[in-house]
Amino acid sequence: MNEATVISDNKRAGMRKKPGRYRNERRFVFAFLTPVLLLFGLFAFLPIAWSLILSLFQYNPMSDHARYVGAANYLRMFTDGVVLKSLWVTFKFVFFTVISNLVITLAIATAIQRVRVRWLKDLFRTVFFLPTIAPLAGTAIVWSTMFNYQNGLFNMILGELHIAPVQWLSDPHYALLSVIMMTLWADIGYNIVLFMAGLDSIPEMYYEAAILDGANRWHLFRHVTLPLLSRSTLFVTITTVISYFQAFPQFQIMTKGEPFNETRVLALQIYDQAFSNSNMGYASALATLFLVIILIVTVLQLRLGRTQWEY
Amino acid sequence: MRRKNVWLDTAVTALLAVAACVMLVPYLWMVLSSFKSNMDIISGSGGFWPKHPSLDGYRTVFADAPFGLWLLNSAVTSVIITAATLFTSALAGYVFAKHQFRGKRIWFLLILATMMIPFQVIMIPTYLITAKLGLVNNLAAIVLPNLVSSYGVFLAKQFIEEIPNDLLEAARIDGAGELKLMVRIIAPLIFPMLSALGIFTFMNAWNNYLWPLIVLNDTEKMTVPLALVYFNGTHVVNYNVVMSAAVLITIPVIVVFLIFQKQFVKGLTMTGMK
Repeated sequence: MNEATVISDNKRAGMRKKPGRYRNERRFVFAFLTPVLLLFGLFAFLPIAWSLILSLFQYNPMSDHARYVGAANYLRMFTDGVVLKSLWVTFKFVFFTVISNLVITLAIATAIQRVRVRWLKDLFRTVFFLPTIAPLAGTAIVWSTMFNYQNGLFNMILGELHIAPVQWLSDPHYALLSVIMMTLWADIGYNIVLFMAGLDSIPEMYYEAAILDGANRWHLFRHVTLPLLSRSTLFVTITTVISYFQAFPQFQIMTKGEPFNETRVLALQIYDQAFSNSNMGYASALATLFLVIILIVTVLQLRLGRTQWEY
Repeated sequence: MRRKNVWLDTAVTALLAVAACVMLVPYLWMVLSSFKSNMDIISGSGGFWPKHPSLDGYRTVFADAPFGLWLLNSAVTSVIITAATLFTSALAGYVFAKHQFRGKRIWFLLILATMMIPFQVIMIPTYLITAKLGLVNNLAAIVLPNLVSSYGVFLAKQFIEEIPNDLLEAARIDGAGELKLMVRIIAPLIFPMLSALGIFTFMNAWNNYLWPLIVLNDTEKMTVPLALVYFNGTHVVNYNVVMSAAVLITIPVIVVFLIFQKQFVKGLTMTGMK
């Protein structure tokens, strides 16, 4: 308590010495925060509001004339076969990619944690992390050539195994799978590093106690590692789901949504409607739908995650 | 030590080694393809290994593409974006953490809320605003919307809040102005957070594809990822050319990564940023 009074005395003394200080501080806050908030306003707040308003109009940037259509854009998307399909494709893509991502990254992270040799451990982490820093657009191009029907790597491997070649990017059965493989390759590094950090933070004594109680390897993983890792898992799952919903370059570059819209995710559909078809009003309505879906999915995950924590 | 099991450890390491090799295959493919000659490709007999290794691809890249210009465009925009983001995030974070003013909570919440908004949701109005400002097909359009980062402000605020007020108070009594306080005292204290923010801001700016795709049209204005895709479109058959360009673009990225690897990994686990 004594200390506190001394400090506040000092404060007062400082204030008396410099009566203009608070005004200076205020001026600093004002002078600095204004440009920052203006930028946020211009490139974050305004676009959100504008997007909502635009979704009620029919707007083509070429004609520069907007026509108010009320909820028509929203009604239209529920009868638009392409949009409904793209919703289905988006969910399929996010679901399978997230699940395989989590399983693979958790397995690899646990495996790397077991490696005792320091340099080998670092080497593994580096190798798995390396693809995440390259531009996804470049990765998509390299993988496109690997998926090439005539002289791509995958059909070469199939040829060696005497299996008929596959149209990886234009066969409706394989196109989405191909994009998923490429996405996983490009992206697992992040979650491996995050899971490794999560595993590092589990105190050794929990394992020791469980071993004393006679737990086997599976029990350790199921009843010690998984529950104590749930915070990391929740965080990793939420960020991965959000980022896969927004996956764009791989679809735009590798498949352009083809064949038969089998790989037309919502993110690509919004882009195409807005910038290829100049249907900016309709695209804005789709963007609103996109936002609502992501928000709902995120809130649901937080809810589910929280109930698990309490056990 | 728990769980000593040499066999299992060896098996795990071996499996990891196989998986790591699989991870490296696309790189190997990229490099080998870049050395394939035009002959290899036209004859259609191109296997995994180039039959007649040549520098055809690299020669075409340097002859056909303003390669240096693309790198320059990417470098300049990414550096400006990174420097500006660090500056605005640190100062705004400082203001939100250590100053009182009217509407502080509301403004901070609004900024936080924009973190949740995917770029696809705001890209159309952002494009329209950019068009109104007359910046379409101008590198300024790449920089301008990215001068501030809501996540950066949030991170900076979290880290600056930890700094004891007494320290700032003492500096003020010694006559330090707010800006000097920021540079001399706060910046060094939050340096690890700033370097993480810097690395990931730079990487996101360098790798960004969607926004340049929307606002840039001219080949001379393009940034690296966009240029690579454009280049791919004009050299579909001769994939050795595109692979050469991809190699040239990937090598500096890998070198930079290997140098800053520790900071990368630390930054990722500290900020959870992508």
